[in-house]
Amino acid sequence: MEGFDGGGPMLKLENIHKRFGRLEVLRGVDLEVKRGEVVCVLGPSGSGKSTLLRCVNLLEPPEQGEIFVEGRDICKGSESPAGEAGWELDFVRQRVGIVFQQFNLFPQKTALENVTLAPEKVLGRKAEEARSKGTALLERVGLAEKLNEYPERLSGGQQQRVAIARALAMDPHVMLFDEVTSALDPELVKEVLDAMRELAAEGMTMIVVTHELGFAREVGDQVVFMDEGVIVEQGPPSQVLDAPREERTKKFLGLVLER
Amino acid sequence: MQEFINQYFDVGFMVDHFDEVLEGFWLTVQISIVAGILSLIWGLILAQLRQLPGKGFLPVRFATIAYIDIFRGVPLLIMILLISGSIPSLQFLPEWLRIPQWFGKPDNFWFGVFAITITYGAYMAEVYRSGIESVPRGQMEAARSLGMSHRQAMRNVILPQAVRKVFAPLLNDFIALMKDTTLVSAIALSEVALVGRDLQSDTLNSSALTLGAILFLLVTLPLARLVDRLISREQGRFTRGAPRVEAL
Repeated sequence: MEGFDGGGPMLKLENIHKRFGRLEVLRGVDLEVKRGEVVCVLGPSGSGKSTLLRCVNLLEPPEQGEIFVEGRDICKGSESPAGEAGWELDFVRQRVGIVFQQFNLFPQKTALENVTLAPEKVLGRKAEEARSKGTALLERVGLAEKLNEYPERLSGGQQQRVAIARALAMDPHVMLFDEVTSALDPELVKEVLDAMRELAAEGMTMIVVTHELGFAREVGDQVVFMDEGVIVEQGPPSQVLDAPREERTKKFLGLVLER
Repeated sequence: MQEFINQYFDVGFMVDHFDEVLEGFWLTVQISIVAGILSLIWGLILAQLRQLPGKGFLPVRFATIAYIDIFRGVPLLIMILLISGSIPSLQFLPEWLRIPQWFGKPDNFWFGVFAITITYGAYMAEVYRSGIESVPRGQMEAARSLGMSHRQAMRNVILPQAVRKVFAPLLNDFIALMKDTTLVSAIALSEVALVGRDLQSDTLNSSALTLGAILFLLVTLPLARLVDRLISREQGRFTRGAPRVEAL
């Protein structure tokens, strides 16, 4: 996490617009994330929260708006004059890691190979160095015993922890979590959230799209509530979760808590 | 009935001409294997060209699709005749290409290999494509999000999974390729069909062709069984990989 110590925000989104066909999924989103901050994004499905994450690392580049990572302008939107030429793919992908809802581990590779592949191919690390670092990361997420297992032999929670280790192996400065516990059986959620808690405690900058209100309350520095492609409300968890100002936030929290 | 057996299954005739037929079949096998390997490689290249991302590669994708459509649509026999008939007359080509004699094989051997490769490469490209497209989209996203280029992601993540899935259909195409190799008899290569036909017109007995067919079956039947087993194994495989993840 060394490198960037400029005074500005770690991550800044300005007026992000994203369309899929005629559907405008993001309708002008602004967000700032400070270094070491954990931002939890809540919202009903279809609110655009996952798309927002995928915009940040340019898996889904926005049509309009600007994204700054560590002060560097990595995207001015595909409809801006700069277009695709303005996308700093290498810069953003080596600084921003992402963990997906469906894990997306590489099935033909073992847990350790999943973690070492990108460092070897992208960063040019020596196999031995990548292995020792990968082993340490897998130990850190509690998978020391599973280094040589293939993903299909791991539980969902274990797979997701491998996915976290895999993203961390690239030494990201920011981590994105896209509903990482939504595909898990209830009893496996905690082990993944624990790994994320630890990461947050170590000072990682994180954006977490989640339905886990407990996690947001405990770990989040900021909670963002999104609906219909815009940020409806944002602030510290105590305010957004316990004393929401907006009607839509209240309604959503009511529905979630009813479960 | 006896007449039928004499015409097609004259064992004495088969024994007498076994060496010639086997020699012809050996040539068939050689052409099949060389053309098969080249088609596998050429098909893979075509499939990757077809998958190149972004607007910049649009002409490449378009040209590749046009190639695949054209060469899947033209009969192999016509390709063989077009190539062998006129390539030697193209004076602007260097002689090693105009009259190829590589590895001690005559030019018609290479013209046959070339025609089969450009035709079957197009078929195999489509098989590879189906494999590439069957890999969940999340795999490419995961690889790209880790900083891999499209090319690195293809080579290290997508293709290993895709090739495993299409191994059986590729083998199927190879069986078809091997059978189509008999078409090179049209350019006077003494492979198994031509040997059999010459014997047939000399002796008015078809048993040499039957023998050739039997030799084919000895190779293609085990391959077909292998394809079946690979398919059932692939279907039985416990795949827990991610389903296609749609945005949103």
